[in-house]
Amino acid sequence: MDIKSSGIIISIILMLIGPVKADEKIQVVASFSILTDLIQEIGGDRVSVDTLVGPEQDAHVFNPAPKDAVRIAQSKLVFLNGLGFEGWMERLVKSAASKTKLIIVTSGIKPHSRKYKNGYEDLDPHAWQDVRNIRIYAANITEALIAIDPAGKITYENNFYRYDANLTSLDAFIRSSIIAIPSERRKIVTTHDAFGYFEQAYGVSMIAPQGVSTESEASAKDVATIIRQVKSEHIPAIFIENISDPRLAEQIAKESGAKIGGKLYSDALSNENGPAGTYITMMETNIRELTKAMMP
Amino acid sequence: MNTLMLFYEMSISPFAEFAFMRRALVGAMALSLGAGPIGVFLMLRRMSLVGDAMAHAILPGAALGYLIAGLSLGFMTAGGLVAGFVVALLAGLVTRLTVLKEDAALASFYLISLAGGVVLVSLRGSNVDLLHVLFGSVLALDDPTLLLLASSATVSLVTLAILFRPLVLECVDPLFLRTVSQSSGVTHLGFLALVVLNLVAGFHALGTLLSVGLMMLPAFAARFWTSTLEGMLAMATLIGFISSYLGIIASYHAGTPTGPTIILCAGVIYLISILIGGRNGLLLRFIPRKHLAA
Amino acid sequence: MRPIRSASIHLHDLTLGYDRHPAVHHLNGTFAAGSLTAVVGPNGAGKSTLLKSIIGTLEPLGGSLSLSLPSARVAYLPQSADLERDFPISVEDLVAMGLWRTIGIFGSTTRAVRAKVTDALGKVGLAGFETRLVGTLSGGQMQRVLYARLMVQDADVILIDEPFAAIDTKTVLDLMNLVKHWHQEGRTIIAVLHDMALASDFFPDCLMLAREPVAWGVAADVLTESNLAKARSMIEAYDPSADFCERAA
Repeated sequence: MDIKSSGIIISIILMLIGPVKADEKIQVVASFSILTDLIQEIGGDRVSVDTLVGPEQDAHVFNPAPKDAVRIAQSKLVFLNGLGFEGWMERLVKSAASKTKLIIVTSGIKPHSRKYKNGYEDLDPHAWQDVRNIRIYAANITEALIAIDPAGKITYENNFYRYDANLTSLDAFIRSSIIAIPSERRKIVTTHDAFGYFEQAYGVSMIAPQGVSTESEASAKDVATIIRQVKSEHIPAIFIENISDPRLAEQIAKESGAKIGGKLYSDALSNENGPAGTYITMMETNIRELTKAMMP
Repeated sequence: MNTLMLFYEMSISPFAEFAFMRRALVGAMALSLGAGPIGVFLMLRRMSLVGDAMAHAILPGAALGYLIAGLSLGFMTAGGLVAGFVVALLAGLVTRLTVLKEDAALASFYLISLAGGVVLVSLRGSNVDLLHVLFGSVLALDDPTLLLLASSATVSLVTLAILFRPLVLECVDPLFLRTVSQSSGVTHLGFLALVVLNLVAGFHALGTLLSVGLMMLPAFAARFWTSTLEGMLAMATLIGFISSYLGIIASYHAGTPTGPTIILCAGVIYLISILIGGRNGLLLRFIPRKHLAA
Repeated sequence: MRPIRSASIHLHDLTLGYDRHPAVHHLNGTFAAGSLTAVVGPNGAGKSTLLKSIIGTLEPLGGSLSLSLPSARVAYLPQSADLERDFPISVEDLVAMGLWRTIGIFGSTTRAVRAKVTDALGKVGLAGFETRLVGTLSGGQMQRVLYARLMVQDADVILIDEPFAAIDTKTVLDLMNLVKHWHQEGRTIIAVLHDMALASDFFPDCLMLAREPVAWGVAADVLTESNLAKARSMIEAYDPSADFCERAA
């Protein structure tokens, strides 16, 4: 029996078991940890969220299992980022029951495109790196929750306003932090390709290292290239956490005069106890690391 | 004039421009100073595979050091040295006191050491890829590491100078050595200790497995250029220097990983030496040469 | 030159062997100080084993062995198969090894040392061979180099093991004259020989072994037909089902 049939059969059984009672929590599924956080902020106690790609996990290598289809079938809503982030979602959605509603939280956002070395172009899904977009995410989530649970309208709206205010402060905080940095220093070298929206929103240049291999063995050419690049463009900091040998990163920093940056969170939250357990703390941590690195 | 400029561009200016290139060269050459002569002795004593065996014996010790204190030069070095010395000592004891020969004794303990290391690391719950983590980089030599390499070279050369006579005797006529001196056991252990020291120093620069290459390949190549012991010692060191330089500069221009490129250069020199080496080179056999009158 | 100190070697119920099987057992007797003894016997008689125990590289299974002068210098010339001939060492350096004690660990070959080496090489008929690599020598030349080394060792007790295998007659005579010369200097010399004729021609004393002592004493008395017959009847193989040896000394 394939996923599709088993999903359908299970969801039929569940439908027959009974609808959700009024004082039970609303079951929803979020595709990854950042969405989970947002949903919990808005939904509070009224909502119970299942996450497919949890904290510290990588959405790009996520492989959906039949149990994920079950969770979707048992839920009222599935929240997706969209913009191509959940490449595996289509398969999953087709195999799950059609009763569950799909919410794309990025609807209404102005997406950027990203170009690849071979000329290929597609949409950049990491819209959450611009805090203003998250306000739209939150609004979409609120709308969806109200639609499925009108009884909680007041709660959801209050939560939304409160959270939206926090987001506005966050955005302002990021901007003020960056203004404090001299404009010629607002650039870093990073292998992350997830900060396109951040770059455009807040004016920090995210420069990809030319040709560096982040695999286990760097070549002298690669190292020389980075050093030259950093020196000639006066880049103040390098965030290359993928270089497996931290001693090598140190050498590069010493010789190029750049600082080595700490860890940046791009695609997922950290664990609860970590420095990026919620969306807001994640952005705060990132801006803190960036500021530390870029400040003279 | 232009070819001179081009030559300078290709071979000198990268070192002038980048500190990490200079450090890499200095480090690799320091390593060659100690490793070359030791490789010659290993080769002549038919212990060419011992280097590789000892490299495996050292790994668990260094891994243990890493588990305790992370990428600490001190702890990883200490761990590697202890593991290597213990294996060398035990192998030496077994060879002297039991019926097993050198090769079996050494193999037995390095296997045990390696297995023990793997189990230990897995017990701690770390999924650290031993080889990956301990794979040093010749491009990342900080001051303490350079100091370690230089010290290792110095200690090796001084010890070899001191132990030279008994070492040679132990290679040529071990029975004679045993009958005239008590130092035979000490000499053997001292020599193995030097092997361990150079390998431990080497793995900071090249990784354990590659540092064995820099120890042995120049020695093998030297065999084809000279027939005296002193000549081989000098030649091996020189070839080590040349391989280091060529490897680094080639890696710079071709974008290949530097450590393996150095070893490949040594390998190419070795292959060329086999063919056209001044002594015992293969192609010499095809060149008709007059013999001497007496 | 250092004066020769005479040393005798006393064997008391000496049993030597491997894995508890005796190569030779219940040896009793003394090699007198300054004596020149040939040790003869069939293959596997335990002759080399005896020398190895005197030089100290083999522990006895039973009994004991002692030198009258424990600090006496003992030199040993093994069967040449033990040498690593491929090693790139010159004749001069190999002979100089014999002066180990005088050179010491830190020493280098001084002019005095080199002079001694050259002198020794001359005495064995290898003048001019100093810079030759040992791997280029013939069997006879190698043997003579080892003799030269033995010479510079200037030992009180000299043990020689089958030194004349594959050597031409002239060399054998030359080397035997050397041995005689050493004997005249007062050194105690024990030589394992295959050639009984050589033994009877040159050696005043003789010990015949056949895994146990057959005869020991003046060469003429030892090298008799009846003794030879007894020796020939020795069983060379170890008996895997042998009981413990009950013989007394």
